[in-house]
Amino acid sequence: MASRTKQKEEARARRLAEERARTARVRQQRRLRMVTGVVLGALAVVAVAIAVSSGGGGGGATGLETGTKLAQTQTTVNNLLSGIPQSGTTLGNPNAPVTMYYYGDLQCPTCRAFTLDGGFGQFVSNEVKAGKVKVQYRAFQTATKDPSTFQTQQVAALAAGKQNKFWNFTELFYRQQGEEGTSYVNDKYLTGIAQQIPGLDLATWRSARNDGTLAAQVSNDVSAGNSAGVNGTPTLIFQGPRKTATPSSVVPSYSDLQQALAQVQ
Amino acid sequence: MTTAVSVSARRAVSTDRRLQIAIVVLCVLGLLDAGYLTYVHYAGVKVLCVASGGCETVQASKYAELAGVPVAVLGLIGYVLILASVAVRGELARAAGFAIALVGFGFSAYLTYRELFTIHAICQWCVASAVLMTGLVVLTGVRFLREPAGEYS
Repeated sequence: MASRTKQKEEARARRLAEERARTARVRQQRRLRMVTGVVLGALAVVAVAIAVSSGGGGGGATGLETGTKLAQTQTTVNNLLSGIPQSGTTLGNPNAPVTMYYYGDLQCPTCRAFTLDGGFGQFVSNEVKAGKVKVQYRAFQTATKDPSTFQTQQVAALAAGKQNKFWNFTELFYRQQGEEGTSYVNDKYLTGIAQQIPGLDLATWRSARNDGTLAAQVSNDVSAGNSAGVNGTPTLIFQGPRKTATPSSVVPSYSDLQQALAQVQ
Repeated sequence: MTTAVSVSARRAVSTDRRLQIAIVVLCVLGLLDAGYLTYVHYAGVKVLCVASGGCETVQASKYAELAGVPVAVLGLIGYVLILASVAVRGELARAAGFAIALVGFGFSAYLTYRELFTIHAICQWCVASAVLMTGLVVLTGVRFLREPAGEYS
């Protein structure tokens, strides 16, 4: 009698345990599905975000242009620089009372933005053209990954400067930058830019690229930047007769440039 | 038996409470960080950079925006949503909090990769946010995966 009751109790306990285990299993499966769903959903969102971020955008940096697009770019650059004296890396009246030192890296997207969206163009067309200020470029490595590529591209620009076409090269380069972080700068690209400059003697340009003094000039520019505390590009330092000034915004507008100029005049 | 259950339930509740507080603290720090970067983005002023000055390079790069929206704003939205998920009760809210933190963590990891290997500049504000998101994904994850308090009692 007692044993039968015991058996019954044991059977009940077993049933209960099984039922509890089953409920726990079902709950566990449900939670597992939920966790999997959350993780997969989050991964999908991240994947889409990365695809959007990696692809396109970025102001349409696409590398060397062709056809009508190139013709437009060339016309813009020629119009910007025509009638303004150039000597080496200096743009504008050599006797201008103010010098704007422009620390730049040809691959730097912010420099491109300064040329395309910032105040640089208007400043060149007005203040620089009028002889109030001259612009002097100095190389400073920021966006370019590889130091030897940096050296090569900046020397290529200086080689155009030997024919007083440094700013044509630089402006054409900025306007036809490739995708940031890709190794688009090679001999073909640099020659492509040089070929777009009206009146540039290509053979002279090519031999000037091996000129050791130009390589030394790039190193000197970088050292000058380091000692001036430059830590990004473009960095603009206005040097007047008595004072210096630096615009505070990352991509200075025309009025930012005018203000900085007024401070040192 | 009853006392044992209620004690463990109470302990579970207080663990959940502690997790909630930790999440709120990290979210508030994240909001300050992302808020500052959003301000800098729209005001166009220079970022206060403690380290080598990579912040401007990072802020000016194309990765600073996602489809035209500054990533700082996305971070701001993320922190607000995680904060909101803590305020709402229930398993769904915990799952949502974890999902948002996971998205934030994944995208932060991608951005940190871009900083290190594409832009070659580090912005400590962005690193701080990535660290906060990592903390949040752990905390919201633990909170979501724990057997919810009270479900057994």
